[in-house]
Amino acid sequence: MNVGDKFEEHFVIKQEIYQGFIEVFKDKNPLHTNKQFALEKGFNELVMHGNILNGFLSYFIGVRLPTRDVIIHSQEIQFKNAVYLNDELQFNAEVIGIYDSVNAIEFKYNFKNGESKIVAKGKFQIGLLK
Amino acid sequence: MKRKDILFQINEIFIDTLDNEDVVIEEITRAIDVDEWDSLTHIMLVVAIEKNFKIRFTSKEILSWNNVGNMIDCILEKG
Repeated sequence: MNVGDKFEEHFVIKQEIYQGFIEVFKDKNPLHTNKQFALEKGFNELVMHGNILNGFLSYFIGVRLPTRDVIIHSQEIQFKNAVYLNDELQFNAEVIGIYDSVNAIEFKYNFKNGESKIVAKGKFQIGLLK
Repeated sequence: MKRKDILFQINEIFIDTLDNEDVVIEEITRAIDVDEWDSLTHIMLVVAIEKNFKIRFTSKEILSWNNVGNMIDCILEKG
């Protein structure tokens, strides 16, 4: 990989992902489970858990990068807009730093919804396993 | 850049990376002297130092360091 290399993925927040997240992690906050509550708070629908996006990020790093010899050193995410059930998300990532001395690569990334609005963005650093 | 200025900047990087306001780094400081300085932290420190000073180390250089003073020597050589 080289600085400037870009990657794209397409994700959909399907019912099974939403339900699975709740079943596994037990986050049943009303924002995610009570539509009336979500509407009262100014959202259009039930708000999906932001950390579902971290699941997509994990998939990208673990499975879609050109190498499987990878481990996450760090990641940060900023949530900019709510995501809803069945939202289609465009994921974009770009290599912004390569640190050969410690076999590390830094990326920036974002998720955009169907209206091309950034719903989340951040950076992550991976290590290449020997 | 003077050694003491580099040491000051490295100390700031340690504080930020280790998330420890109290950490004080000296030239003789070794990894074993700082509780949070483990292998992953070492990687994060090297990356932060490379970014800060806009330099790149080699793995051979890093392996040759015994303390922070050696790190500063390396930075000065690249300056």
